[in-house]
Amino acid sequence: MNIEKKRKLEGFIALALSTCAAFVGLFWLVFILGDVLIHGIGALNLGLFFNDPVPAGMAGGGLRNAFIGQLLITICATLIGVPVGVLGGTFLAEYARRTRFAQVISVLADIIVSVPSIVIGTFIYAILVRPVHHFSGWAGAFALSLIMIPVVLRTTEDMLSMVPWTLREAAFALGAPYYKVIIQVVYRGAATGILTGILLSIARVAGETAPLLFTSFNNNFFSTNMNGPIASLTVTIFQYAMGPYEDWHAQAWAASFVITVFILVLTLAGRLILKWRYK
Amino acid sequence: MEVQIVAPTIDIEVKNLDFYYSGTNHALKGISLPITKYKVTALIGPSGCGKTTLLRCFNRMHDLYPHHRYEGEIVFQNQNILAADVDLIALRSRIGMVFQKPTPFPMSIAENIAYGLRLKGIRNRSELAGRIEEALRHAALWEEVRDKMNDSAYDLSGGQQQRLVIARALAVEPEVLLFDEPTSALDPISTAKIEELVVNLKKDVTIIIVTHNMQQAARVSDMTGFMYLGELIEYGATEKIFTNPDKKQTDDYITGRFG
Repeated sequence: MNIEKKRKLEGFIALALSTCAAFVGLFWLVFILGDVLIHGIGALNLGLFFNDPVPAGMAGGGLRNAFIGQLLITICATLIGVPVGVLGGTFLAEYARRTRFAQVISVLADIIVSVPSIVIGTFIYAILVRPVHHFSGWAGAFALSLIMIPVVLRTTEDMLSMVPWTLREAAFALGAPYYKVIIQVVYRGAATGILTGILLSIARVAGETAPLLFTSFNNNFFSTNMNGPIASLTVTIFQYAMGPYEDWHAQAWAASFVITVFILVLTLAGRLILKWRYK
Repeated sequence: MEVQIVAPTIDIEVKNLDFYYSGTNHALKGISLPITKYKVTALIGPSGCGKTTLLRCFNRMHDLYPHHRYEGEIVFQNQNILAADVDLIALRSRIGMVFQKPTPFPMSIAENIAYGLRLKGIRNRSELAGRIEEALRHAALWEEVRDKMNDSAYDLSGGQQQRLVIARALAVEPEVLLFDEPTSALDPISTAKIEELVVNLKKDVTIIIVTHNMQQAARVSDMTGFMYLGELIEYGATEKIFTNPDKKQTDDYITGRFG
């Protein structure tokens, strides 16, 4: 075989393999999303959002407790995680710029991002649940915020580092103190990127189950008390999907659908903002 | 009628200035030069000669970075601005700077100008609007942007952006304006506009301009300093430097024999 034919063959094999891999990945993705869509939409009804669960085995009821609980936990986690993440990222990119300390923190944050979330769940269990002898919504929110912080921190750091240094010099040259340079010039230059990072981190934690199992646990009754166990969609999906009742399965599908759409919307919003910024 | 001839006053006096970027990087060596008030002083010389380094001493821009060290003095209105206790925020609002590449902030045209004004504590809306217009007129940009004050500053052309940045610097009413190769990123027409502007501005501010373009130095400046390898080789009236310099090195550079 001459060399040109060999090259063409190699090229064809590479193309074929990568196309196959792409289709394998895509197949399962579409399969999962399609399944969630079909089963989820079928089980979706308004009662799901307005009714609380009925005793196990009975027909009807909804997941109002889980929707509200999920929302509360996610909002609290965001309120804790975003300020800490953004301020921490600002510290790394601005005040501690190019120091060994900042580099170490960045690497540690990257490591924490890839720590399995169940580890974070057990950690929070050990420090916030066990000492007080009961599960709580706050513990769940803290666990989720711990997952958010390194994501937001690293995104903020990267986005701030992308703002050209000359822009800061120009602001300094007008007689601006550093905090005003950061807030009024650097943040504005990096705003869309940071916002995208925040949205994506919310999307990330909204789908977490493991850290909540150990912290906020679950609650079959409607509760907005963050000091006690509180329901969440993900834990409810876990429990209902494992349960023996057809009705539970249907509701788990519906909940899966809602949370998938929620995360999809957040992700799309994040991407749209980026696109709009860099058009 | 009695005609009074006022000798040009010295605005800034650089005295025996040495600057180090780090312990070993000795970038400026024993620089002494007077900067005349309401004149344009040009600093010329080949790349790496220290002209930009010297310029950035006047507003202490080097202080943003670690390990720098100044020795000697820069006296600005009886005060050594290199002293450790100098208020850099106050200093930089009195000595403004325009950079090589246009540096508009990521906000609207109007807000770019308002930024410096707000730093000075001006909050009143009508006063802001008045000062913004004044600054833009001063920088010969008003007619081009008056109908799009709320557009992003990034929508302007490079030359317009540079004039916007000059307007922003002028708005805070500095006494001295530093230009660091302000036209090196611009086309010839924009360059001509900036040069004209520089000449017009000197009735209100003292100007120090770094340029690698000798024709530009000859066109806009009254005084010229030629720098080489961190030293000020020669300083004098622009006309003299360009027609009859004292030092051979200056003559070689001016005539294009090196650099």
